[in-house]
Amino acid sequence: MLFSSYIFLFMFLPAALLLYYLAPARGRNLTLAGLSYFFYGWANPYCTLLLFGSTTVTYYCALAMARPAGAPATGEIPLRDEDAPASLRQKGAFWLSIAANLSLLFFFKYFNFGIENLNSLLATLGLEHLQFEGLLRIALPLGISFYVFKMVSYSIDVWQGSVRATRNFIDFACYVSMFPQLIAGPIVRYREMAAQLASRMHTSEKFARGTSFMCLGLAKKILVADPLGKVADTCFNAATLNALDAWYGLFAYTMQIYFDFSAYSDMATGVCLMFGFVIAKNFDSPYLADSFADFWRRWHISLSTWLRDYLFTPLNYMLLTERVRERMVREKFRYNYPAIASSVVVFTICGIWHGAGWPFVAWGAMHGVLLGLEQLRTKKSSYWKWPRALRVCCTFIPVSLAWVFFRAADLRSAFGYFGSMFGVGGRNAGDDLVAGVIYQPYYLLSMAVAAVLVWSAPQVWDFTRSLSWKKAAWCYGLLLLSIATLVTKAHSPFIYSAF
Amino acid sequence: MDTMTSLNDIFREVFDDDTIEITRATTADDVDGWDSLSHTNLIVAVEMAYNVRFNLKDTRALKDVGELIDLIDRKLAEKG
Repeated sequence: MLFSSYIFLFMFLPAALLLYYLAPARGRNLTLAGLSYFFYGWANPYCTLLLFGSTTVTYYCALAMARPAGAPATGEIPLRDEDAPASLRQKGAFWLSIAANLSLLFFFKYFNFGIENLNSLLATLGLEHLQFEGLLRIALPLGISFYVFKMVSYSIDVWQGSVRATRNFIDFACYVSMFPQLIAGPIVRYREMAAQLASRMHTSEKFARGTSFMCLGLAKKILVADPLGKVADTCFNAATLNALDAWYGLFAYTMQIYFDFSAYSDMATGVCLMFGFVIAKNFDSPYLADSFADFWRRWHISLSTWLRDYLFTPLNYMLLTERVRERMVREKFRYNYPAIASSVVVFTICGIWHGAGWPFVAWGAMHGVLLGLEQLRTKKSSYWKWPRALRVCCTFIPVSLAWVFFRAADLRSAFGYFGSMFGVGGRNAGDDLVAGVIYQPYYLLSMAVAAVLVWSAPQVWDFTRSLSWKKAAWCYGLLLLSIATLVTKAHSPFIYSAF
Repeated sequence: MDTMTSLNDIFREVFDDDTIEITRATTADDVDGWDSLSHTNLIVAVEMAYNVRFNLKDTRALKDVGELIDLIDRKLAEKG
């Protein structure tokens, strides 16, 4: 059930809000969890078993790892003391929770990829008779990358004593399954939600802001992302492409992915607000970033902070040996070796988190290398004296180039696309056909609107902070226009719902 | 020289900015260039200057410069 589908907008969401607000205050988390399971089971009911199973395992493991031996079975569980010696039961519970969640992710997301690569390796070695054939093709359950990361963060936080393990299974199930964040995030941490799950205010201001987030998010998706997606699809699927069209197509995709994903995040934030939850910003004008580190502070913030806290920082410390420390000091901190190495490793993992395929690995590794190289630039570098617009441009172009890997079906197509961008292949008869599609006035207008919104319009976050009648009129006007477009044109699923 | 003053010199060196004036309330948002990547440089510089060692857990909980100063003082006290 997509956020931009009729069934969600006109049936599920109104019915869910009605049921939620009719439910007694004590039963609202249960109602929301139930609605979320219904939402999740809509496409494939069996997936709810997976969600329920992993939630149950994580819940009980957290209790087992945090509760001191002999502690009473009721009452609030204290924060775990990380320095206190852990019993075998506690260690076992922690590792079981991590292993169960990650193996779920690995099995459903990477099994097919692993088999395909193993088969091609065997073929290269001339061992075709050993290839795996006719094996089960594993379908990827929606949102698994997102909810597994939520549960892993909960387990680690409980283990490290930065959050209390909850005894309330319904609250925990509500946190994991909460339908606005279930399919494509944001990867909200339990510590941000714990107090809100226990008690939250439902105000008309919150509801109105949530509605505006929804309207603007839907408009970003339907009116901007979808038309740009048509341009990007045409260019990336074209057999041949001239250089100008290839750059234009990449610009379209660069804008599409931002509008598509930030639209989803806006809608998720909006729906959460309607149910009384306030969640943190997931995008902060990423294409205004003036360095790659800045880009990752602004793009998919819930994922980048997750990777920072649970992968980058621990890895950085592991790499910080005495020899490395001494060398860093000797070289006056010119080379931050651990950070450079950790960036490459963590962003390659970030790539494969998005999808099981080599293009995603290449996308992540490219970002890791860019971030690593950037570490070599000191604060006194002349780069920081350049006009900000030029620095933004120098960040935007490599980020856009990396999207080629993200969008292309495979590495060969990605390099083919780069070839077109840099004039390899020359002009072909098919170019005019492509040009006839992608330069239609409607698409040109969408591109212009996207550029204006990205580089000069206020963020939805700020726009909705205080609502006036004029702003409300804008929101509802755009809602009507989006619905009219939705009725007349086919629309596509959110890109991130595939991860 | 107290910890605050000596730490200020380290901040100036690591972040390559002679105008930095830290207070106990200074956070990463207040210092240009202080992010999770450059944090490694800061930690190593502090370790070397005071001849102490931090583990991951020590630094994970740090919220501002005040907590970093308390951590340094604690480590120095442990050393005796």
